[in-house]
Amino acid sequence: MANRKNTVDEKVEKYINDLFADVGPSQQLFDLKEELTTNIKEKVADYQSRGMEEEQAIKEAVISMGDLRGLVDDMRNIGQDTAKQAVYTSMTERVSIAGIIAGVLLILFGIFTVAMLFLMDIPRVSAAGSGIFIVAGTALITYSLLTKETSKKYAMNKIRAALYALAIGLIMFGIFSGITSGYATGEAYIAVAATMVFVLAGVGLFLFLILTGSNRYKNI
Amino acid sequence: MGNTISTDLIRGNTDTIILNILRQGDNYGYGIYKEIIKLSDNQYELKEATLYTAYRRLEQEGYIISYWGDETQGGRRKYYRITELGNERFEQNKKDWDFAKVILEKLIKGGINNGK
Repeated sequence: MANRKNTVDEKVEKYINDLFADVGPSQQLFDLKEELTTNIKEKVADYQSRGMEEEQAIKEAVISMGDLRGLVDDMRNIGQDTAKQAVYTSMTERVSIAGIIAGVLLILFGIFTVAMLFLMDIPRVSAAGSGIFIVAGTALITYSLLTKETSKKYAMNKIRAALYALAIGLIMFGIFSGITSGYATGEAYIAVAATMVFVLAGVGLFLFLILTGSNRYKNI
Repeated sequence: MGNTISTDLIRGNTDTIILNILRQGDNYGYGIYKEIIKLSDNQYELKEATLYTAYRRLEQEGYIISYWGDETQGGRRKYYRITELGNERFEQNKKDWDFAKVILEKLIKGGINNGK
């Protein structure tokens, strides 16, 4: 008897699995399959208790369900939505990884060029000019890191991440323009003045963002 | 089950039929199906495919909620319970039905007197 019970279970489960075979996974699908399976098994047991043979009982129970195509379509739509979400997440993931790599390469390129030009016998102001690559690279990495979703944190919204990148970029650019204008004029006060303007703007924006931020930690 | 009710006619009343059963106690998919057969004195069977679609719709609209029962031999049963909103919906649908059945009776069986 226990054996026969198992074959009914398996056949009903197979029928349900086949029915939803080409439907993308979702919590709703998982729940509906369990609900249908439980109820069909019970119906088969009812038919059998009225003296119907196992094969016949399963066949009758399935037929009496009626046309389940509407439900299958419902589930297919839900499954496609989650598949779309997964594609979307992996796309932004790829974009932000590309941004981090490009940012690191830009910074390295800037450092190497500056080092190279410093060692060549040319005016220092030209050498410092290549530092702009370091500024751009830092801003790009800032943006990419903030828009990357991690296992603990959700991705930051893109506008906010861009503002953070701008703030960091402004601070870096302030330092950069301080160095270049300092070299260009040979006057330290000009260097400080040039730095001050951009750093103040950058720090102001940065503080504003920090103080208005929302919690991005996932509740797991 | 010789006579049938047209799909159009039953479709408009499926929700009310389910709500009528659930307002008398929580029940699960197959249980509701059996209850409907019993209520019709074994004269009418509402297909389960129709019922499951209706459960999903009723739950989305907030008229019923669902919860999983304990494990039985066959697996877990998914039970449904009517909400306050569902009760209000049922009362309204019942009133609408009382009105509709009187009118439909007149329209379908009424004889036309042209004053001859």
